[in-house]
Amino acid sequence: MRTKWLALSLALVFAAFVAGCGGSSGGADVIKIGQTVALTGDSSMWGQSEKNALEMEIAKINAKGGVLGKKIQLVAYDNRADATEAVNIAKRLVGEKVVAIIGPAQSGVAIATTSVTEPAKVPFIATTATNPKVTVDDKTGKVRNYAFRTCFIDPFQGTVAAQFAVKDLKAKTAAVIYDVGSDYSAWLGKYFIEEFQKQGGKIVANEAFRSGELDFRAILGKVKGFNPDVLFIPTMQKEAALVMKQAADLGIKAKFLGGDGWGSPDLVTLGGSAVEGSYFVNLASLDDPDIQSFIKEYKEKFKSDPVMPNPVMAIDGLYAIIDAIKKTNGTDPAKIAEQLAKTKDLQVLSGKLTIDPKTHDPLNKPAVIQEVKGGKFVFKAKFVTQ
Amino acid sequence: MFIQTLVTGLAIGGIYALMAVGYSLVFSILNFSNFAYGSIIMLGAYIGYYVLMHMGVPLALSVLISIVGAALLCFANERLAYSTLRKRNASSLYFMISAMGTSIFLENLVYATIGSRFYAFPEVLTQQNVSFGGVSLGLLDVFAIVFSAVAIYGLHYFLQNSKTGIAIRAASYDMQVCQLNGVNVNKVIGWVFLLAGALAGISGMFLGMKYMVYPTMGWITNKAYIAAVIGGLGSLPGAVVGGLILGVLETFVSAYVSSVVRDVFSFSLLVILLLVLPTGLFGKFLEEKV
Repeated sequence: MRTKWLALSLALVFAAFVAGCGGSSGGADVIKIGQTVALTGDSSMWGQSEKNALEMEIAKINAKGGVLGKKIQLVAYDNRADATEAVNIAKRLVGEKVVAIIGPAQSGVAIATTSVTEPAKVPFIATTATNPKVTVDDKTGKVRNYAFRTCFIDPFQGTVAAQFAVKDLKAKTAAVIYDVGSDYSAWLGKYFIEEFQKQGGKIVANEAFRSGELDFRAILGKVKGFNPDVLFIPTMQKEAALVMKQAADLGIKAKFLGGDGWGSPDLVTLGGSAVEGSYFVNLASLDDPDIQSFIKEYKEKFKSDPVMPNPVMAIDGLYAIIDAIKKTNGTDPAKIAEQLAKTKDLQVLSGKLTIDPKTHDPLNKPAVIQEVKGGKFVFKAKFVTQ
Repeated sequence: MFIQTLVTGLAIGGIYALMAVGYSLVFSILNFSNFAYGSIIMLGAYIGYYVLMHMGVPLALSVLISIVGAALLCFANERLAYSTLRKRNASSLYFMISAMGTSIFLENLVYATIGSRFYAFPEVLTQQNVSFGGVSLGLLDVFAIVFSAVAIYGLHYFLQNSKTGIAIRAASYDMQVCQLNGVNVNKVIGWVFLLAGALAGISGMFLGMKYMVYPTMGWITNKAYIAAVIGGLGSLPGAVVGGLILGVLETFVSAYVSSVVRDVFSFSLLVILLLVLPTGLFGKFLEEKV
């Protein structure tokens, strides 16, 4: 008898819970925008900053009355920068009827996300996923209808780095050390090598390591023997700092060069004096005059600098989605995706955004080269696509 | 390049050895792999970093504080998570599961409270290196090797000559008989965890200084665990030899083959060695092997 009562009451509680959930998600007075972002794990520093920035910006938009008379609600879930987790989260976001998704930030994670968003016809705008395969299916060569991004792509970044190495650093030989477990790192390394060789340079060593590696001295001992002019390290800031520190320990004289994965203030605290005088390609710069008011607001609210460039790229994506909602005058994800592909000269945080309908990549996105000087990232040069 | 690789390998192996000794110490008494050890190492590094950077404590003293802190945490870990299981005579599988739980709990506790940022120690020793005959080695590595050797020797001396040490060694052969002979096993186990924790504090400081401090840094103990198995779980000299062998082998594979297949080699070595010598190089207890 007792168990029966228990079962019955449990069933009632469950029913009430389900009904409650159904009721709250049926509210038509909000527009839900999803965010798939790494809030824990190695990439969480950018992820948390990205979420903070979006929340701050959405609160501002809502204070001004929202969009189409409705408030915007951010539904953010932690994907831990993990492809499997990201697929689950994409399913969850689609289930919660978001109109579009901002993120993910990593290429591998974004590519995994397309397996959910394409059939569900819900667009996502990746923030810093720079691999070409994110928006273009390499098997068919066709653009993915529901995948977009606000950052430039790896070939461009690798090209910029290689040209900079040859033209400005006068490098004739280069070595590359990349993370074999990361799509981002492997492809960026490959594009750098292609362009560097095209420019007449010679690659003396191309060494891989596995994700999570801490000790690079074995590989670096080998690189030291070739004495390259430039050491290209297309990794995140943690590995890059360790590589540079250990290379300095071994007395390697090469100039260090990297991609946007380096762009975090702790590159300097982690790498110390070893990173001084190194260069890297980045999506945005803290000293960019166009974003100063955003940085000021962010600092007032969160008492620290935004961790670049994710917050800026995410806000660019948010503006593009809002523009598409306004232009389609509705919240149908498929229509929003169609409209996103037509985005042209839209004023966003980082400048003017135009989406290439053929690749869903932004056109004319400037890249910044930064130098580490006196423990700070100093603006060095600006490159623009075609 | 050969000698440079060998020296680098020994430096890496020295740290593996230090951690492997901590593993083996606990295994020799309780016959289970204390997977929470990596998290204790991580917390030791955080303690050392905090007192050095935020309280202005000098380096030598912060190493000491880290040792004491990690020892106490390791002790608390045993009292909170394992002692109840022990009193119920639970099988070692439950200890291991409890250890894994503790490890995940501590890691996520750090994520939730301190955050996921990476921290690096200031460049006190890290940027100086010693060169001899074309071979260069960081001063920190030299320091780490010497300090590890002293710590391991000190532990060995303690186990051989002190009353508690003799009790620990007796308990490692047979805990029940030892108890029948009037040894307070609870106390002995407490000592073992304090000692293992102290080694964790040293390892944490060295790992933090050599690489950096972050919540998942304890994962490197997987390697220490393999080193302990190669040397024979439960054997302290085995742990030292296993650590050095693993460090040198890994460095040679990275330098001459590829760093990508490094773990393929080290884990194959483990499997082959266990096939040929199931108790490891210096192992004693066959039936309790994982």
